[in-house]
Amino acid sequence: MAQSKAVIRNQIRVMRFANGEMTQQDLADRIGVSRQTVNAIEAAKYFPSLEVAFRISRAFNKPLDEVFQCQFTK
Amino acid sequence: MGRSFEEKSVWIQLVCMILGLGTYFIFAGNMISNGVRDMPAFAALFMVATALMVILLVAGIIVAAVASKPEGRDERDRLIAWRSEHNSSWVMAVGVFGAVTCMVLGIDNVWTANLLLLSLGLSEVLGFVLRLVYYRRGV
Repeated sequence: MAQSKAVIRNQIRVMRFANGEMTQQDLADRIGVSRQTVNAIEAAKYFPSLEVAFRISRAFNKPLDEVFQCQFTK
Repeated sequence: MGRSFEEKSVWIQLVCMILGLGTYFIFAGNMISNGVRDMPAFAALFMVATALMVILLVAGIIVAAVASKPEGRDERDRLIAWRSEHNSSWVMAVGVFGAVTCMVLGIDNVWTANLLLLSLGLSEVLGFVLRLVYYRRGV
């Protein structure tokens, strides 16, 4: 079965700056990962588990689909 | 992007593994070319190389821990470790298959043992290299 490709983007960087210029380290401490992992997530080099994704959305007090967006392409 | 403690420790393990294995195989190669075939001589050499590797590893990890605070492994570190191990274990499997073939063909035990050791070492080195690639390029 041919599957469409998922392109996942996120608004973490924008939301960090909108939340009092929160640093990557601050966010990392809140969600329980390293700063390098937050950097990798922001750069879409790593896609977090659902648990970490929900922790990020809770840190920004936003629904999950405002933080992460997924587009399916052929 | 600065390196995490986990990534630094992978670099240290890679360098130590290359130094330890390199030392062993340089001396073991000389011994084999000079006709040495008794296993205790190779076992002693292996122990010295392993001790060298452990000393370097401990010193390197202590220096890295002093230089940057260890944060502990998170889910990305665990995924990278799992994926690199998954993609490097075939080297060890090839070595084991080769060693079994050597045994069946009755080839000298020294060659069999060194082939096993080489495949184990190369599998580890490939695993460390893959981990560094995944840290830089993403998983």
